[in-house]
Amino acid sequence: MSTYTDTMRETARRLLKECRVDLVIGFRQGSQPMMNEPCLVRKPEDVDQLVWDSNCGINLANYLTNRKEKIGIFAKGCDSRNIVTHIIENKVQREQLVIVGVPCLGMIDKRKITAEAQGEILAVTEDGDQINVKTAAGTQSFAKADVLQQNCSVCTHRNPVIHDEMIAEPVAEQTDVDPYADVAAIEAMPLEERWAFFDDLLSPCIRCYACRNACPLCYCPTCFVDESKPQWVGKSQDAMDIRTFHFLRAYHCAGRCTDCGACERACPVGINMRLLTKKLNKDCKELYDWEAGLSPDKRPALDSYQANDPENFIK
Amino acid sequence: MKNLLECMGVEPDRIHFSWISSAESTKFVEVVNKITAKVKAIGPNQRFVKQAAKVA
Amino acid sequence: MSEWEPKIVSFLCNWCSYGAADLAGVSRMQYAPNIRVVRIPCTGRMSPKFALAALREGADAVWVSG
Repeated sequence: MSTYTDTMRETARRLLKECRVDLVIGFRQGSQPMMNEPCLVRKPEDVDQLVWDSNCGINLANYLTNRKEKIGIFAKGCDSRNIVTHIIENKVQREQLVIVGVPCLGMIDKRKITAEAQGEILAVTEDGDQINVKTAAGTQSFAKADVLQQNCSVCTHRNPVIHDEMIAEPVAEQTDVDPYADVAAIEAMPLEERWAFFDDLLSPCIRCYACRNACPLCYCPTCFVDESKPQWVGKSQDAMDIRTFHFLRAYHCAGRCTDCGACERACPVGINMRLLTKKLNKDCKELYDWEAGLSPDKRPALDSYQANDPENFIK
Repeated sequence: MKNLLECMGVEPDRIHFSWISSAESTKFVEVVNKITAKVKAIGPNQRFVKQAAKVA
Repeated sequence: MSEWEPKIVSFLCNWCSYGAADLAGVSRMQYAPNIRVVRIPCTGRMSPKFALAALREGADAVWVSG
């Protein structure tokens, strides 16, 4: 995937030179290995900072909200679905955007690599399907498939669903994966065990709200956690407050989440809160046959009424 | 709503939804009694209760 | 407090179930005293926040009725 970089720089330069866009949103090398950071390029001479490799997991759609300029944006499968969601929700207009599609083979999970690596990681390079990690002790190699982010390894929308240009030929979609296997495993647990499972899952949460800030869906001017009159959720680290926060956050993403993994990636303590949003995704799929962000012309399941909507929970 | 609560380990009988027209007072009474019986059967709620709130 | 009685927080739509409750009242019908009614202007006003807030503050169950 790192071979995309040159094409990207060319594309960005062309778009900026032709004045088709005011800025281009992409990634540049971060100050630490495996931490590429989003960057906004406004001048053609600056495009050479753009890079692309397997560390571009942040969802760029997050940077579109309420912008008024003309924007060129690089979009992976999940980013493109979030862009569609933004268009549906009027957070950005389709005419403003030049979407440059990036077929994606998954992003690597830096936690997996940090856990495996011996000593401090000095540099991470990739060579096709192989990830080479350079530490003080020497060089280690990993197969990319083994260190993928969990959501990427079960991704079924790797190619952008909406684009004006493509950076490369579409990649093959995965068809033999079950994205909801982990949710199904939880559903199969008995009630007590489920409660204990989530107690355990959420207990490290420090309420930093990084998951909310990294999420492209979370753009409310005042988030419910910051409201104090009325206060819906306590601000403490009480187990119930934490649970309420995660529960409501997941609900705000119901029928909108594209499982891009930005929340989990941003979490400083590594909570897999995607299990909650994914459960809702699964319900949306099963009850309304809806997956978020696939087409800008379709209204979301939760704001449209159909005569055959399931209602067996109403007595 | 109910699905995720259940998934997180809340008893399914803790939350109810129903649809009653304003003319259906008999159904209203029926539903109230039914729900009360169900909740009585599962006992006091332990889940999602903020312990600190109880002390205060 | 000889026997435990559940507290059921009920969110009733002004136009539907609240009306039904009113009618049940004027018809002198008997029903379980365990519900605590919150009148909402429409079931569309309902939010997961309300249900969670009720449970957090010690309700034993939540009932939403339109």
